[in-house]
Amino acid sequence: MVDSTADTVSPAARTNLVRLLRAAYPHPRFPDGPYERTADTIIDQVGESLWHRLALVQGLESLDAAAQHSRGTGFAELDDEQALALLRGIEDAQFFAFVRGVTVVTLYNDHEVWDLLGYEGESYSKGGYLHRGFDDLDWLPNPRVEEYDGPEQIVEVAPDDQLTTTGGTH
Amino acid sequence: MAENTPHLGNPIPHDEEVVVIVGSGAGGGTVAYELTQKGIPCVVLEAGPWLLPEDYENDEWAAFNQMAWLDNRTASGPYRVATDFPNLPAWIVKAVGGTTTHWSGATPRFREYEFKTRSHYGRVEGANLLDWPITLADLAPFYDRAEKAIGSTHRHGRPALPANNNYKVLANGAEKVGYKFYATGPYGTNAEPYDGRPASIQDGFNFQGDKSTAKWSTAVREIPRAIATGKCEVRPSSQAVQVTHDASGRADAVLYLDSEGNLHRQAAKVVCVAGNSIESPRLLLMSASALHPDGLANSSGQVGRNYMRHTTGSVYARFDQPVHMYRGETMAGIIADEARLDTSRGFAGGYYMETLSLGPAFLAAFAEPGSWGPEFTEILDAYQNTAGMWVVGEDMPQETNRVTLSPALQDQWGLPAPDVHFEDHPNDVAMREHGYGRADMLYEAVGANGTHHTPPYPATHNLGTCRMSERPEDGVVDAFGQAHDVPGLYVSDGSVMTTGAAANPTLTIVALAIRQAEHIASQLGKGAS
Repeated sequence: MVDSTADTVSPAARTNLVRLLRAAYPHPRFPDGPYERTADTIIDQVGESLWHRLALVQGLESLDAAAQHSRGTGFAELDDEQALALLRGIEDAQFFAFVRGVTVVTLYNDHEVWDLLGYEGESYSKGGYLHRGFDDLDWLPNPRVEEYDGPEQIVEVAPDDQLTTTGGTH
Repeated sequence: MAENTPHLGNPIPHDEEVVVIVGSGAGGGTVAYELTQKGIPCVVLEAGPWLLPEDYENDEWAAFNQMAWLDNRTASGPYRVATDFPNLPAWIVKAVGGTTTHWSGATPRFREYEFKTRSHYGRVEGANLLDWPITLADLAPFYDRAEKAIGSTHRHGRPALPANNNYKVLANGAEKVGYKFYATGPYGTNAEPYDGRPASIQDGFNFQGDKSTAKWSTAVREIPRAIATGKCEVRPSSQAVQVTHDASGRADAVLYLDSEGNLHRQAAKVVCVAGNSIESPRLLLMSASALHPDGLANSSGQVGRNYMRHTTGSVYARFDQPVHMYRGETMAGIIADEARLDTSRGFAGGYYMETLSLGPAFLAAFAEPGSWGPEFTEILDAYQNTAGMWVVGEDMPQETNRVTLSPALQDQWGLPAPDVHFEDHPNDVAMREHGYGRADMLYEAVGANGTHHTPPYPATHNLGTCRMSERPEDGVVDAFGQAHDVPGLYVSDGSVMTTGAAANPTLTIVALAIRQAEHIASQLGKGAS
């Protein structure tokens, strides 16, 4: 259990935080690494603010209390569905909003996550994608790249929207 | 910044009356280039640092933190940006080159009817519509020059860019739903070497500055060439504080802070304000004087009002097979079929559909701000198989959508921060919904499993806050961008737009700036302005 008098994030609280991140941002393909790094970034950031630190420590402890109350177990022992349901119930809690704010700019800025999602990142030093697949999509025909030069002309103003002699159209 | 400090030009004494240009982006950079080509001395005051192509980052957050305008600002009003990004109403750049550093490159022209919206749309409740004091015919020759300066593809002999993966999805979907007017441009990035700059290497980092310089920006073209004339001094990290006027009411100087916070005065015979549509009205409002108690050039009360941000929305579509939308030129895919006036669709004005891609970092931040849980992670899990487009169209000018000086918040210099207040007009909402619907049809026609409708981002197109008008009581500047109230004071950016049209605004800002520079040069030649 988390020590309720501490204002530092204990290992048990960190475990709950990683569990929270997995439940709130579920990606079955992701290993623990990106979630752990995100948890550590969150812990680093609360270090700068007594208020955020207290809110996070208290919040993570309250997850255990809530899980005990509803399921008779610690938060870290809940399955995905149970953990998600619990988090839905505390969506507006300040510590959880803070955690989400940091996570959305941290988890998805993790280069291992980029690999897992199929994003290749920096490209200039590799010559861009000019010879590395910028046009390798092969499940659709190659479309025209020039502008249309057929017989139709775009009707910029529909007949009913033409200017009348009285001025406006409405 | 890179260690090899860029050449800032020949020093110009602070007491020499020159053309002083506030801002170095599409408008300010172009005016500086055009005037110095004619031998007219210019001082360019740029609030941001000089970033060189080697400084640019192929990384979304790193680049954002490097170049975005992050000084204190607030967003207010019922629009969602005010809730999700209360300190980031706009995503624009603070660096030499301004927001041309960040722009994607789409260069459609405005349509003829879009200069006459009051006449065409009639009286739209809640909208402050006004016809421009100029027509498409007035601007056409300057559009030609702007397209050649930028090197727009599909224009003046410039070849088309090839189809990238995201475009293949967009164009095939367009064809299936019966659209005709789609192409990979016109687009301001070289498909082949042009104007001393190389062809695109399709690196996918348009928004982060373009390290290769294949993309046009004033940082790689107009500003260095203005300096090369020997007639221009660029002063980076210079925050304009006030435009002053003499006893006769004529603009005579700009007061600005250097990077250390020291206040300077640069004497001026002409002042061109080109700080984009938040900073330009802010500067005029901060320049209130006894002659102009409500802000400089604000006898109409229109300074800061009619703020427009384009009606936008993005649609991200998921497929069974890979797309890799991030590879290649971000916005080299434009559909113009909906960029027309046909009120039978349920709204006035038109919109474009343009390819758009974000990396996972920005997609997570912007796809559905505040969202979490499985409905959020499925958007990211589909990343590799996702195609994206941006819907961008004309929004209604409204007097109550406006930039004001915050009564409470200040910037790092102690100057009042700007507040950007915005609320969608019902016409904006109807257009956005139509765009989402058409985008869904388009993607479903090529096999999308699902689509996600992303709300508007912090604004990249900021327009209208110093609008051009025939009559002084209707707007801030005249047909050449000169303030109705203040001789010698010009506004040279997108804030002069009377209405916003559907097209991405950069090309039109450049065309207007070339036209304005011709006018300023001719006035100076006559010994007046």
